[in-house]
Parts: sequence; structure tokens; C-alpha cells
Amino acid sequence: MNAPDRYERFVVPEGVKKVSYERDTKIINAASFTVEREDHTIGNILRMQLHRDPDVLFAGYKLPHPLQYKIIVRIHTTSQSSPMQAYNQAVNDLDKELDHLKNAFEAELAKHSREY
Amino acid sequence: MEGRSYQRFPTVKIRELKDDYAKFELHDTDASMANSLRRVMIAEVPTIAIDLVEIEVNSSVLNDEFIAHRLGLIPLTSGRAMSMRFSRDCDACDGDGQCEYCSVEFHLRAKCLSDQTLDVTSRDLFSSDPSVVSVDFAESSDNPDNRGIIIVKLRRGQELRLRAIARKGIGKDHAKWSPAATVTFMYEPEFYINEDMMEKLTPEQKISVVESSPTKVFDIDAKTGQIIVVDPEAYTYDDEVIKTCELLKIPGLIEVHPKEDSFIFTVESTGAIKASQLVLNAIDILKQKLDAVRLSEDTVEADEQFLELGAHMRGG
Ligand SMILES: [Zn+2]
Repeated sequence: MNAPDRYERFVVPEGVKKVSYERDTKIINAASFTVEREDHTIGNILRMQLHRDPDVLFAGYKLPHPLQYKIIVRIHTTSQSSPMQAYNQAVNDLDKELDHLKNAFEAELAKHSREY
Repeated sequence: MEGRSYQRFPTVKIRELKDDYAKFELHDTDASMANSLRRVMIAEVPTIAIDLVEIEVNSSVLNDEFIAHRLGLIPLTSGRAMSMRFSRDCDACDGDGQCEYCSVEFHLRAKCLSDQTLDVTSRDLFSSDPSVVSVDFAESSDNPDNRGIIIVKLRRGQELRLRAIARKGIGKDHAKWSPAATVTFMYEPEFYINEDMMEKLTPEQKISVVESSPTKVFDIDAKTGQIIVVDPEAYTYDDEVIKTCELLKIPGLIEVHPKEDSFIFTVESTGAIKASQLVLNAIDILKQKLDAVRLSEDTVEADEQFLELGAHMRGG
């Protein structure tokens, strides 16, 4: 009767921000990003991409609770960068990687359908 | 401030491709990317499935809910799904099924009039949209073995009459919307066989090493009598050979290392979309998801104001 809608797991409710950003009050160049309605799919690729950035001193994510449909990404960078800059760079790099992957897959698909 | 790019340039090699099956290699990326693609293929690539059923008459042995559930699980050709709207986002209708942007209507009428049991199958479902039909219906209809998916069986006098609405959805919502039967990936293994140690082995020892693997990974070369790797991908990372080598007091004879940046994917589709299309759609969906997690303008502005305020307070 009062069961929540199934789509509440992946649709951001009205008035809620998809990504919110909170600076660390004690450490400079450290911050947490709360990403609503996302899980390991996004959390883990972001984390691994952030690890490729030498200005990132720490990058991690957690899914606080299986019934809280959000992840928290925490980033600590050197003074050469900022958490926000590193986050944006990681998203951009992943986006470009997927563009590249799509082209690679399509080219391979075209080659494959010609051969057979 | 534009940062440096740490982008990777993955490569792909397709090994085998059928409508509902694909096997390919993915190189020069890491496990997080492989796993995200796998997760998206299973749970977030949309398809179309029956979601709402209005039963007019049901005198079959199965209750209404049971039949509605079975109808939901029938895979429908979902080439349209990527460009369709989710019913909850559709502003052209109230989700009643008369809407071309978000739903497809089905009708089913069946009554048994003979002493022979009547099979009601997916073939009895009539679609309002010829591009959205039961997957087995779309296949070669000349195949005599293809009798459709059985929904219920009727005896004399029993009847089933209903209207069903199919909608776009994702596997995360309900597994009936998952286009994937299975999606798996494995690390490509690399084997190192210590030649010097192998020289000292008796033929019996070699045989027991070869036979210790539950899958046929190794064999003995008929000419040289040496242990060779015949099928590296048959290895299931079970460690049995390594344990056997230790038992035979020859640890280090064989080493296995998973290549951290090479994956072998197997994708099996339910037939709702082609396996190759499933991979491409997964890439698109993952891109959309990344786009959605970009920081919004006002978040960035708020932070800049915060920084200015901090500088101001320090300066003042
Ligand atoms: Zn609609």
C-alpha cells in the first residue's frame, strides 16, 4: 500500500540536486561530492580515473547504505589542483574514453560484417 | 584552468558475432570501465516490456497476477526503446497506453472450443506497433519448432481476454526490462612455464600437472614431451595447477598472471536488441550518466563566491 515507487531508486526527486559539493572544513583542497541516485557503476570508474591524476592525493567513494540511493566521492588534491578541477577532468576524460571506445567498436563491427 | 588529460584509448577486437551473442576483447582500459559497461548492459540499457495488464475475461487455471507477470517476462523487440520516452516522463499522456511516445498496446483473445488443450502463446499477442512484437514472433516464422512462448494452457470452455500496455524501462527497475541474458568478462591470463624446472620432471609428473587443471588448459607436446598451454582462456583462475606444483615440490613451475588491462567479454542478449547494439547502447547510456553527474553552474559559482569571501575575510 505505502510501498515507495520502484523508480525512486534511480530518478532524482524534484528539488534535489544531482551533485552537491562540500569543502572539507579542516583540510584545504579536500572535498566531498554527493551524487544522488548513482551507485558503483559511476562511483568506481570515477575513483579509478581520479587515481590516474598525479595531483590527486586521495580519491574514494562509498555507497553509505543500500537504501540510500546516493554515493559520496571524496577527493583530496595537491595545491597544484583542486577537487573540483580533478572531478571535472575525470568526468571529461571518461567521456572522451567512451567516445573513443564507441568509434573503436563501430569500426570493428563494420570490419566484422564485411568479413563474414 | 584546463587540467592535463589522463584519458585512455581502449581498443576492441570482435571475435564472434551473432544476433544474440557477441564475444570480444577489450584492451587498454581497466577493470572499472569493463565492470561499469557490464553493469550498464545488465541493468540500465532500456527495452520495452509489458507493464500494465487489464484482464477482461480470465477463466484459465492461472490467476490474473500470474498471467500479468508471465506477460511482463516476454521479451519484445526493442529497437525503438532508446528513442522512446519513459512513461513517467511523458507529458503527452497520462500513461493510459494510447500514447505513441511512451507505450505500445497489445491485445490477446483466446478461447478453447475443443477437447484438445489450447496453448496460448506469445503469438496470440497482437501489437498496435509492428516494430514492437514478441521476439520469437519476429524471428523466422517458418521454423516449425518455434511455437512461441507459452503463456497459459486452456481446456474446453476456458477463455482469456486482455489488453496489455508495454512500456520502456530498465533492468534496475525490474529484471523483465533487462536486455541481457548474461554479460561476463574475464581477465586475459598470461602463463609462465619455467623451462629449467620442467627439464627435471618425470613424464608422470608432467601428466599429473597437466591433468590437475579441471579445464583443458595444458597438454603435453607430442614431439618434445614438454608441457604446453593449449587454451589459456579455458583457465578459470582456480589455482589447481599451482597447488599441484606445490604438492609435487615444484612450486613456481607454472605461474599465471591476469593481464590487468585486457578483458574478454561475452554478451548474450535476450533478443530484445542485437548483442552488438547492446554494447553500443551501453556506451551511450554510460556517457549520458557521466553527463548527468557533471557539476552544475551554480555549484561552481557558489564555490567561487566562497573562495572570494574567504580571500576577502583574510584581506580585511
Ligand atoms: Zn506518453
